[in-house]
Amino acid sequence: MTRKMDRTGHQDVSKEMIGVGRRTRELEAGSPSPERMRTASELGSAIVHQLNGPLTALQLYVGEIRQHSGQFIGTTGTADTLQQIVENAFQETERVCAVVRLIADTFEAPLHEETAVALGRDVISWWSRSRSTEGSGGPERTISIHGLLTPREREVLGHVSQGCSNKQGALRMQIGPRTFEGHRARVMRKLGARNGADLVRMVLCENAVAS
Amino acid sequence: MPELHLHGSEQAPRLAKNTTRILVIDDDACVGTAIQSILSRHQCETVLASRAHAGIYTFHASEFDVAMVDLFMPGMDGLDTISRIRSVSAVPIIAMSGFRLRNSLDPDQDFLGMALLRGATISLRKPFSPPQLVAAIDRSLGLAPSTGEPTQ
Repeated sequence: MTRKMDRTGHQDVSKEMIGVGRRTRELEAGSPSPERMRTASELGSAIVHQLNGPLTALQLYVGEIRQHSGQFIGTTGTADTLQQIVENAFQETERVCAVVRLIADTFEAPLHEETAVALGRDVISWWSRSRSTEGSGGPERTISIHGLLTPREREVLGHVSQGCSNKQGALRMQIGPRTFEGHRARVMRKLGARNGADLVRMVLCENAVAS
Repeated sequence: MPELHLHGSEQAPRLAKNTTRILVIDDDACVGTAIQSILSRHQCETVLASRAHAGIYTFHASEFDVAMVDLFMPGMDGLDTISRIRSVSAVPIIAMSGFRLRNSLDPDQDFLGMALLRGATISLRKPFSPPQLVAAIDRSLGLAPSTGEPTQ
C-alpha cells in the first residue's frame, strides 16, 4: 500500500478492490475475454435454471387467470380496469419469459451428450455452490463490503488500514478527530469489526482477494 | 375396494376413457402443482413425482396415458428416466426443460433434442403457457401410435 491516499487516489484503490477498474479497461478494449464470456453464459444459465420452475408455474397460472378472467371479474364498474390489470400482468409475464428464453439461448455446450449434460449439471450446481460460499471471504464479500461504505467511510478505512491513529487520520483528511472517530465507528459497525485490529485484518483479506 | 392403487404393487384398473392420466416427474413441486391445476380443467388426472426414481416406481405401479419428464433433476437424470420408461413402454413422453444449450456447429441440437433421441415423443420448452401445455398433451397422444415401437 504505497499509493498516495488522497481523495482521488483512494477512489482508484477502492475501484481496483472490486475489480471495476479491470472491467472498465476490458470494456474499453472492445470485446471481453473468452473466460469472461463463458462465466457470464454459465452464470446466466444457472439463473435461468433457478427461474424456470417459478416462471413455468407463473405463466400457467397467469395464462389461466387471463383466459377465465370474465368469470370472476364480473360486470361491475371496475371490471374494465380489472380486465386491463389482468391483461397487463399477462403481458409482463410474457416479457419476463422472453428475457429468460433469450438468456437461456446463450449457453454454449459441447455436442457430445455426456459432456453437455455434465456441463449442464455443473452450471446448475454453480448456483448452490456460490450461495454456500457467501460470506466466507469469496469475491462476493469484497463487493458487498465496499458496497456498504460511503466514499468518505472508505477513505477513513484506507487511513486506518495504513496504521493511522484517529488524530493522524483526521489531520490527513483535514477534519476533526471526533468526526474521524465517528466515521471509523460507523465503518466498524457496518463491517462487524470488533476492534481496530479486526478492521485492519478485514482490509488485508480484502486486498488479498482483490489482487 | 378402491378404484385406483397409485402406489400398490398390482396394476390399477384404467379409468373411464374420457379421463387422461398424466404422470408429471419434476423436482419442482410447484411446477407439478401448476400443471395439475391447469390440466384438471381438461379432463386430465395428474399424478406428481418429484424424483426420477419415485416417478418410475409410480409409472410401474399404475397406468398412464402420458408421462411428462423434466430433464434436470437431482439424482437420476431426466434423460435416463426417459430411457427407462421407453424401454418398458410405448407411452407418449413429453420432455420438459428450460435449459438449452447452443452449439455454433449444430444450432438445432439441445437437451430437448437429446431427449427426443432417447425416445421422448415431443419436447416442451419451459416456461410454457396453458394452451402450449394442452397442445403438447394432445399432440403427444396423437403422435403416440407413430412412435409406438419401444426403443431398447
